[in-house]
This record gives sequence, C-alpha cells and structure tokens, in this order.
Amino acid sequence: MLILTRKLGETIRIGNDIKIAILDIRGKQIRIGIEAPPDVTVHREEVYRAVMEQNILAAEAGRSDTMGAGLSHVWNRLKNPKEDVE
Amino acid sequence: MKVSTTRFGDISIDETRIIEMKEGMLGFEHLKRYVLLTQDKETPFMWFQSVDDGSLAFVVIHSFVVKDDYEPVISDSDVRLLDIPSSPAPEDIVVLSTVTIRSDPFRVTANLRAPIVINAGKMLAKQVVLVEDEYPVQYPLTVNQTALEKKTAEKGTIAPTPLAP
Repeated sequence: MLILTRKLGETIRIGNDIKIAILDIRGKQIRIGIEAPPDVTVHREEVYRAVMEQNILAAEAGRSDTMGAGLSHVWNRLKNPKEDVE
Repeated sequence: MKVSTTRFGDISIDETRIIEMKEGMLGFEHLKRYVLLTQDKETPFMWFQSVDDGSLAFVVIHSFVVKDDYEPVISDSDVRLLDIPSSPAPEDIVVLSTVTIRSDPFRVTANLRAPIVINAGKMLAKQVVLVEDEYPVQYPLTVNQTALEKKTAEKGTIAPTPLAP
C-alpha cells in the first residue's frame, strides 16, 4: 500500500481524473472529498462489504431447508406470526 | 433457451426476458444474466434466477411492497449506466429487493440499502448501493397490507416467467 502524509486542505490525484481532498479533521474523524468520473463507484468499505455478505446470505437462504415448503409457506408464516408460538 | 436450474429443473426461457446486469450482483460479479421467475402467485415473492449458474437464485420482492414510501435516490451515473431516459415512464423502472429467509429462529428481511434497479424497457439492471444510509441492508419484512393493495397501480412491474406447476 502506498502511504502518503497530507495536511488539511491538501489533495491527492489518482490517474488523470480522480481527486481526493482532506476537507476537515476533528479528532479521529476525517472528512474526505472525492471527485471521480461517473463510472467510478465510491462506497464506504463497510457498506460495500455488508451488501456483499447479505447477497451471499440471501443466496444461501434460498437454498436452505426453509425453502423446502416453498415461498408460500414463508409468506403464510409472515401473515400469521402467532402460529410461531406453537 | 433452456436453463438447467437446481431448484426448478430444466426451464425454458424466452430470451427477451433475460435481464442483463453489467456489473453482476456484489459477490457474484461474474454472473451477468438473470431471469425473473414466479412459482406461486399467492405470494409477492419471486425468484431472480441466474441464467449462467443454475444453482444461484435470489428470492426477491418489489421494494415498495416492503415499504410503501420507499424512495431510493439513484445517482446520475447509474441512470446513465441503465440507459434510463430523462423522463422515464414510472412503469419502466422496476425496483426489487433481495430477501433473506432464516429458519431458526424464523426471520425474513429485505435489502433496502442495495436494491436491484431494472430498466424494464431495455432489460438492463444494476444492484445499486444507495449512498444515503436511511435504508438498512436487513429491513424486517412484515406483511404490509397497504403496500400490497396499492401494488402495481402506479409502480413499475416486470412480467416474470411463470414456472410450470
């Protein structure tokens, strides 16, 4: 990993069209401004990861035994939550 | 075309019903073609089945059925990627959420943070990770009668391929 030291207000350029600026520093929080072309998606790492993990979980859940009884079974259980207290 | 699936056996797909995801689903980026299937009309659930991997399918639901006031903000770059015209007909834009079903304990959630946005006119889709954090990845799914009744009235829909019984 390339490591650079920057001061408040300074920027970094990646390639010709990505610019990252240090906008504000307050204790442990740093505000970063990012300028990038529209086809470059920018996400907080934890959000990106959470979505990926949820997709994997959703794909597995579609495989599991719960689905044996089919989606109508799942829907009926949602409609009649009281039946869960058996 | 024929698709061999682990859940539904060999199914026959009209090629015009194939949805192209240029970037795939996060975690499954190599799979770019999906088809929407219904198994049971009694439920609002559908299957988002990979055409290229018969073992991969997501349970999905129209996001507005989960939350009737759902209003995701789609960035300009995603609008362009999906080739959505500047003033699209509302029925051309379909927004689906993946559903996670857990059995023990029984819990069902829908992903409102990263909806599958489909340009139904062009059959182009993208899983859009919303920038704002107002909607969670695990939104508890309950039967929302209002949303079900409002249903497809003013929202976009896409005709799923029914599975043979």
